[in-house]
Amino acid sequence: MNVSVQFRKNDNTLQGFVEGELDTYTAPMLREELDSIQLFEGMSIELDLSNVRYMDSTGLGVFVAFYKKVMKQKANLKLVALSSRLARLFEITGLSELMEIESVKKV
Amino acid sequence: MNKLKAQYKRILSDYIQSQNESNLYIGQNFIKQLIQKNLTPEDVIDIHKQAIEEIYNDLPESMLHAYDFLIEVMVHFGLMFKEHQSLLIKQEEIRIEMDVAAKIQNLLLETTIPNPKDLDIGMVSVPIRKLNGDYVHFMHNQNYFSVAVTDVVGKGVPAALCMSMVKYGLDTLEYARSNPSYVLEVLNNIIEKSVDDSMFVSLFYGRFDLENNIFTWSSAGHEPALYYNSTEQTFYDLETKGLLLGILQEVKYNQHDIKLNDNDFLILMTDGVTDFREMEEFDSRGYIKDLALSISHLTAQEMCEVIYEKLQELLNFNIEDDFTIVVIKK
Amino acid sequence: MDSKSTVEIITELDIVAARRLGRDKAREIGFNKVDQARITTAISELAKNIFLYAHVGKIVIEKIEVNEKTGIGITAIDRGPGIQEVRKVLEDRYRTPDSVGAGLPAVKRLVDSINIQSKIGLGTKIKVVKWLNQG
Repeated sequence: MNVSVQFRKNDNTLQGFVEGELDTYTAPMLREELDSIQLFEGMSIELDLSNVRYMDSTGLGVFVAFYKKVMKQKANLKLVALSSRLARLFEITGLSELMEIESVKKV
Repeated sequence: MNKLKAQYKRILSDYIQSQNESNLYIGQNFIKQLIQKNLTPEDVIDIHKQAIEEIYNDLPESMLHAYDFLIEVMVHFGLMFKEHQSLLIKQEEIRIEMDVAAKIQNLLLETTIPNPKDLDIGMVSVPIRKLNGDYVHFMHNQNYFSVAVTDVVGKGVPAALCMSMVKYGLDTLEYARSNPSYVLEVLNNIIEKSVDDSMFVSLFYGRFDLENNIFTWSSAGHEPALYYNSTEQTFYDLETKGLLLGILQEVKYNQHDIKLNDNDFLILMTDGVTDFREMEEFDSRGYIKDLALSISHLTAQEMCEVIYEKLQELLNFNIEDDFTIVVIKK
Repeated sequence: MDSKSTVEIITELDIVAARRLGRDKAREIGFNKVDQARITTAISELAKNIFLYAHVGKIVIEKIEVNEKTGIGITAIDRGPGIQEVRKVLEDRYRTPDSVGAGLPAVKRLVDSINIQSKIGLGTKIKVVKWLNQG
């Protein structure tokens, strides 16, 4: 099992495409990937989670820690393309009220 | 050393001649002497090589090179093998430490299910590993009964350490009559100050007013509890958007009241009960509702046990998370 | 005759060069085949450490004669990151997360003595000695 992030730079926005399953074993990998981002004031980061097939609370923890780090740097973080399963996780935990989250539009 | 070599040569040539079981037995017993002399695998191969060289004086050169190659490989193999052994020993030490930690945790977090009048309470809490990341806390006095169901993110040691803190937080808020929203606000501040950024706790807190049959609840990012209203014959999700504990300072929480009537029941649980990795499309909450309704004639404890058993069967006894369920029946 | 030989470790090929040099020297001093294999393995591990963690450095191989004893000395010198806790790296259980070799505990087992000097940020010097068995 693995998790990977592909980054793409667009003007002032850094897009990250997260792929894989996020659990106790892979969460540290994601954490390392996200920690490698050079943050600066005013920058925007958009993480696309459409290819995250599974996530448990440890995975959630990585996003929370990263969100706090981004806020400290006065940058912006947005999570996009969440499956309904992931979106529910963010909703139940109250994180959807705190962080900017966009789920996949239901067809 | 020369004596050993001579002995080995004799045993070997005996075997080559007669291929007797007794030769093999003698050979194996000979190992003891090699061990006593502290010989390594490559030493043994070297002895063998020399013996063969002496037994067959017309051995092709290439065969000797092959032995040299084996000696070379065995030097490294021996080292890696030793290292592997010492890792196994280390692993065993850790296992013993974990057992001790688990015992201490069980003592610290021991929960006795209270027995307030007019309520029937049952609970099942099973850790996936030795240390439990879930915890249920009950308090009870003449007028109030209160319950907290908590789940620390992550598993194992970090979760267990954090859980002890939550327990002592709950203990210091000792009064069973405290407002659920207040309890969450205080705990949130304690946890936010003391743990790292990726560590947090979800908690469902409920307080039952035994006099007026009012159940007041609040939730911090926890799996919504189920409330069955027997008059309406309907389930409700006790869901708020209260934030997980330990993320931000000074979070405010809402609390809500429900009036419990006879035959109503509540199911409090952690996400280990509803979140199944391998069954993406499975409506676990729907399943639990149907199941609970079909067994609502049982006692609260029996209901918990049946739900646990059925889910275990459904998942082929492969539950992947700490599993905690509490049933409260009026 | 100069009794010291040095191999600079820059690429993985240099590890093989150091091994070759070490084996020749060990044979010349009179070590048997098995000890030659041990000495070469120790050199290999030391060189691999340089290659992996310090990137560049050198291996110095010399014949040692003290009193009645003869032996081989191998010194690995690098200007790498240094070793934080020398005592710890000699314990079996100590491993850097992605190390591939058997590491220093293994080297220690192959030789008679090991001496490590290390300064954080400046580099590391490891000297090992193996004596020729008399008789």
